[in-house]
Amino acid sequence: MTMGNDYANPEEYGLADLLCCAASREVQDNEIVFAGTGLPMVAIMLAQKTHAPNLKLIFEAGTLDGRPPELPTSVGDARCEMGASRSSGLHDAFSIAQRGYVDLGFLGGAELDEYGNVNTTVIGDYLEPELRLTGSGGNPDINSFAKRTVFIMVHEKRRFTKNVSYITSPGWRVKKWPGGEFVHRRELYGFAYRGGPSAIISTLGVFRFDAQSGRIYLDTCHPGKSPREIADMCQFDLDLSRVSGETLPPTREELRIIHEVLDPEQIFIPRVKPVHPVREPAAVAPSSATSAGVNVLPGGSPVVQPPS
Amino acid sequence: MSNSKRINLQQAAEIVRDGSSLTFSGFTIWRRPMAVVFELIRQHRKGLHLIEVNGGSHTEFLVGAGCVDIWESCWVGHELYGKYGANLSRRVANKEIIVEDYSHAEMLFRFAAAASGAPYAVTQTSLGTDLHNPEYDMLGRAGLRDGKRIAKHKYQFTEDPFFGAGSQVLIPAAKVDVAVVCAQQVGEEGTVRVSGQYYSDPEVARAADITIVMAEEIVPEEYLRREADRNTIASFEVDYILECPLGAHPTGMFGRYDVDGAFLKDFYGKTRTQEGFDDFAKEWIFGLDHLSYLEKLGWPRMLGLRANTALNYSTGVKRGQ
Repeated sequence: MTMGNDYANPEEYGLADLLCCAASREVQDNEIVFAGTGLPMVAIMLAQKTHAPNLKLIFEAGTLDGRPPELPTSVGDARCEMGASRSSGLHDAFSIAQRGYVDLGFLGGAELDEYGNVNTTVIGDYLEPELRLTGSGGNPDINSFAKRTVFIMVHEKRRFTKNVSYITSPGWRVKKWPGGEFVHRRELYGFAYRGGPSAIISTLGVFRFDAQSGRIYLDTCHPGKSPREIADMCQFDLDLSRVSGETLPPTREELRIIHEVLDPEQIFIPRVKPVHPVREPAAVAPSSATSAGVNVLPGGSPVVQPPS
Repeated sequence: MSNSKRINLQQAAEIVRDGSSLTFSGFTIWRRPMAVVFELIRQHRKGLHLIEVNGGSHTEFLVGAGCVDIWESCWVGHELYGKYGANLSRRVANKEIIVEDYSHAEMLFRFAAAASGAPYAVTQTSLGTDLHNPEYDMLGRAGLRDGKRIAKHKYQFTEDPFFGAGSQVLIPAAKVDVAVVCAQQVGEEGTVRVSGQYYSDPEVARAADITIVMAEEIVPEEYLRREADRNTIASFEVDYILECPLGAHPTGMFGRYDVDGAFLKDFYGKTRTQEGFDDFAKEWIFGLDHLSYLEKLGWPRMLGLRANTALNYSTGVKRGQ
């Protein structure tokens, strides 16, 4: 980080700020990043304005190397393309991704298993659905094509599950058809294999995957959360042997950029005022009973609601 | 017999028959031909087979109104303004609609194949997922894979025969009867100029057997031909044209107007149930035509959405909290 260690105190930031900064720190300079709608878009633009000034941003709807002066609310937004290298369409965006240009993609999901398989399609039996969600969007595509993907998810026990209802997006051990037996994704993807999920940023902590087994482990706990508490919020056995500490809080400079430069309208990231109780970040936590899914866009990214 | 391509809104909707397969321009909540969608609902169109690169608010209107029997796509919702497609979700649970899931890139490549006259496309996406689960071939389960308009198989898998690159997914071309494209400008002969990201419009217009273009304005063909490199779709790819200002509302259009987020939020909030949808349709669709719809929306609302011509988006629209 080039911004020193002027970390904010807990009362100065909200959960959405913390997730945004954690996501931003997954971006490295000079990378080509596939951006979805919502919090990831703010995170990537934050990286662009701090430690990764040379990153290249692709919007799924057809903007290449975008530098939007104003935050788009979705990847189809008229705000995406001003300042971009090229504005075109989905055929360009997906061809470029399949060609192997994309280093990193940010995605979301409603359910996750211990190998990083993600569901954004349905809750319950696909043939007798309890709740149909948005569908795949570009989630499996970006996850198939990019070298690394980072998921941002609401953390609930029902979402961090042993078996997802439907594998929408491929993790490290996936199904080999027609039989459906689980194999390492490297076996399936052949020459197209480039990588897979590298981090899960949940509302409780940051998780990573073992390079050999592809199993998830806890890396950092968000401030105030304990490893045991987080493990209790997973239906699978969470590996706690590699916890490296606490998730770093936002710096004051990051908070300034988020709230004064990137999202002054509080579209995705509500501003937390000191003194006031920390408000549930509308942008991150779907609240209603039906919101089994963090909103997943064609970009595959979690959107967070005021509404969505 | 005039060779004019001009038609009106009623005629545009009549070209789409009960049982037609149908696709659209745009992306989720941007540049959707809503005025035609509303007219299809007024005309009580039935049995539609939507094949879309991605769905959006227009999908939710057609599905809620009971116009759609089959939806083949990858995503539906209202982006920031409604987190999933509540009408589709309800009708899937009730088994009133068949949903065939593909990934976003697969849908795009399916249209690109159809647009280039190829029977299928090849890709390496989504390997190992339930998208490829043979049990989840819903058109196959319904006995609808006749190999004519609907492909014999949902997917086929093969090994790369040329370079030994491993597993490849073959996906069938998206064969569609009608595409309805909503754009900023169309010329009298059909040349289309889309401003801003053109999403998958060139592919859908070329893939469909009949392409209807609903534009904010019909402009002199010569005007568009002065700078042909700025045009998106060639004249002869378009069969019918109509002028319909503000026809994409409540979705947005680059350079013209923003998404009406308040309208979409209201729609999403009120149409979780069929009764809710029916009430909403009674208020905003039935008994209205396009002009009375705009009158009901009113000038203040539409002026707030109007795009700044230098920036191509509205500076007045309220987006955040």
